[in-house]
Amino acid sequence: MKKLGSESLADLSAGAVFLATGGGGDPHVAQLVTQQALEEYGPVDLIAPEELDDDAYVVALGGVGAPTVSLELLPSIDEAVNTLRAFEEHVGRKVDAVVSFEIGGGNSLIPIVAAAVMGIPVVDGDGMGRALPEAQMMTYPISGVLPTPAVTTDYRGAVTEFDTTDIMEFEKEIRQCALSSGGMITSAEHPMSGRQLKAAIVPHTVSFSIELGKILRMYRGNAHRIFDHLAALFAKSIYGDIHHLYTGKVIDCSTRIIGGYDIGEASIAPFTGGDELLKVNIKNEYLVASIGERVLATVPDLITIVDYETSTPINAERLRFGQRVTVFGVGCPPFYRTQRALKFVAPQCFGFAMDYRPIETLSAADPPPIA
Amino acid sequence: VRIGIDVGGTHTDAVLLDGEKVLSSIKALTTEDVGSGVINALEHILSDSGVGRDQVEAVMLGTTQFTNAVVERRQLSEVAAVRIGLPSGNGLPPMVGWPADIAACLGGHHYMLEGGTLYDGRPLAQLNLDQVDAMIADIAARGLRSVAISAAFSPMNAEPELEVAAMLRAAMPDLLITCSHQMGRLGLLERENAALLNASLLKFSGRVVDSFGEALRDRGLTCPFYISQNDGTLMDAEFVRQYPALTFASGPTNSLRGASKLTGLDDAIVIDIGGTTSDIGILQGGFPRESNIVIEVGGVRTNFRMPDILAIGLGGGSLVAETGESIGPRSVGHKLVSEGLAFGGATLTATDLLVAAGQLDLGEDGQPVKLDPQVLANGLQTIQRMLNEGVEKMMPSSDPLPVILVGGGAVLVSEKLDSASQMHCPEHSGVANAIGAAIAQIGGEVERLVSYRETPREEAVAQVSDEARATAIAAGADPATVRIADIEETTISYMAAGSTKLRVKAVGDITRRGGEA
Repeated sequence: MKKLGSESLADLSAGAVFLATGGGGDPHVAQLVTQQALEEYGPVDLIAPEELDDDAYVVALGGVGAPTVSLELLPSIDEAVNTLRAFEEHVGRKVDAVVSFEIGGGNSLIPIVAAAVMGIPVVDGDGMGRALPEAQMMTYPISGVLPTPAVTTDYRGAVTEFDTTDIMEFEKEIRQCALSSGGMITSAEHPMSGRQLKAAIVPHTVSFSIELGKILRMYRGNAHRIFDHLAALFAKSIYGDIHHLYTGKVIDCSTRIIGGYDIGEASIAPFTGGDELLKVNIKNEYLVASIGERVLATVPDLITIVDYETSTPINAERLRFGQRVTVFGVGCPPFYRTQRALKFVAPQCFGFAMDYRPIETLSAADPPPIA
Repeated sequence: VRIGIDVGGTHTDAVLLDGEKVLSSIKALTTEDVGSGVINALEHILSDSGVGRDQVEAVMLGTTQFTNAVVERRQLSEVAAVRIGLPSGNGLPPMVGWPADIAACLGGHHYMLEGGTLYDGRPLAQLNLDQVDAMIADIAARGLRSVAISAAFSPMNAEPELEVAAMLRAAMPDLLITCSHQMGRLGLLERENAALLNASLLKFSGRVVDSFGEALRDRGLTCPFYISQNDGTLMDAEFVRQYPALTFASGPTNSLRGASKLTGLDDAIVIDIGGTTSDIGILQGGFPRESNIVIEVGGVRTNFRMPDILAIGLGGGSLVAETGESIGPRSVGHKLVSEGLAFGGATLTATDLLVAAGQLDLGEDGQPVKLDPQVLANGLQTIQRMLNEGVEKMMPSSDPLPVILVGGGAVLVSEKLDSASQMHCPEHSGVANAIGAAIAQIGGEVERLVSYRETPREEAVAQVSDEARATAIAAGADPATVRIADIEETTISYMAAGSTKLRVKAVGDITRRGGEA
């Protein structure tokens, strides 16, 4: 079992924004809260899935809602802890460990806050290997874990309990709850045994995210400087290869909070002008990257937009007109390329009239030069 | 003709420009009271050029005083930090994550109130008037004069901030108040930080604007005067009085723009070497490359748009280690002229290395400097290494670019840098900042409430952009140079769905009035 202390936090958070593919919530505020928790309560145990007892009782913890809201309704230690306590009260038993919904963005950190305060381990892994906007898209329900019993708390501390065993119904209810409670709630859901977790989790993504953050810090610079280092890291991971999709300037970006999501699109133009615009569709996350009719990458493969100069990843809610950016694509973990997973995460599930085609079949044939 | 003045921590530079021609320039020392240094510089360029006062069309000021105040924690007033938004945000109070010293400068007075709105315009909580009264009483009891007010989602709905500001003003009419919705976009902490820094500078900005105004009137200059802001455009002086924080990055912006003007180069690396630091920036198409990431000012996170600058601790006054193998970041600063070896002092500085190497002649003020040859060789090598490393970090690609050296310390560079295609150290490079201020651009900003249901987004953006261009041109921008610099959209929560606050800024060069004058 590893220890996770405040010294790894900046790297974890940077890596998590890269994997968040634009979503997952602002990591800065989550990082401040996690820092407070780790400083006050000490490092947490980071337990690998294979080290977890088969009978352990684990629950997934994180924020649900529109990431933009996380810029204004600031999280707190209490929200994470009170949600876990309310969950324990609801089910009438103690939780042995917590696990993240999604490694992407601020949601990678919320379980760490609760684990630090409650003195329990946090599992090294998550339910997405990235960030995705809806509950049924997690590996946990796809692998057969039931979403409930579940509880949520809102910014006032109001607790709501959920009992439906139907994942689509659960997603509808929890989204409605987020919408009517200020746009963002904290949820404890998908309780599972250690045995179930081992079959359902995307493993070791917390450790991987720290490694990724370290690369981003050590080789901070544009794609020229960092690409080979990133490529080497992804090559030995559960992810597929990383591809350079585009480099240019954001000439338009618009998202709105609609139905509890940030929805919109961004257009990126070459530095040198020209009309080969890259369009990126957004629903909390960057979902499809295309130039005209030519699709470069789609969900569930990862699309990440980084600052051109420093390769610092940029969340969708911070993407702005005039920014100079590089767009990377990364093959998703193999789990999401199985038929049972694609039923929930293929482009059609987001309203795009296209089949999923793996990024390496779309991009590899014609890689653009790195600016 | 126009006058550009740059007031830095060490030097006050002034230039007199006829169109693009430098008629006169001066590098004078910044005085404690700032004003008399400005007067000295003005006096010099006016008498040197023989230009009449009534011929001066405008005076443009660039100043790093507000940035320096934050970085050096000087001249900052204590501020009451009022945040409206409980029960949300309790875990991250105002000034969370700030360096302890600057938080202490602002006094750590914070008041968290129930109230504010949610993203959908519904109340987050009702404003609690008892809390407001208690806050007002406490601010009065502590004798605080400056207040920063923030509220959750205030860019979408400014009402809660305005309401509390009105109550504070009713109770204490003399308070200096900054509301966060005037300082930035969504991102409560960064917006609140910007408001706090701004509020803590309000007292100082009043004094600075007054002393500039007096200095100009004193010299018989009645033309308008402007102060340059982060994006290289000008603000009128009264605006600066209220928004001093908007000048934070104007120094680097001016020196980059000045470097471009002096060389005619649009794409280059610019190294501005001062007394304490070398600031490395990149010119792209004649403008500073902007930083995409959240900017820290004096260690405080903000969301201002700023040029991407790498500051390294190497300047003319930087202390050199005994062996010559390391230089800076400590510097004797403006005391170089008394403490440096070449000025008869006892401290080995970067400037002394150049004097010892025979590459710099300080004229009648200077004294010869003798150094161990090994120390000298090491020292010169250290300077080149530090700059090469800095430039390497900022290079947009591996292709060499021209390097432009500006600033008073430009003499420190004696050899070509590794990644430079050519080296330029143009005439007047010592006053590039002041030239940048003098050629600062005119901005035109238009904000409109639009409904994308009635007007499709693309059309609305095009319309408001046209208005912004027209505003810039009306304010004196040359139509041929006007471009859109920023587009910002904020959903308005309390309006019908589809209502958006659309803000567009257009900027362009000042139209030359040469023909008419």
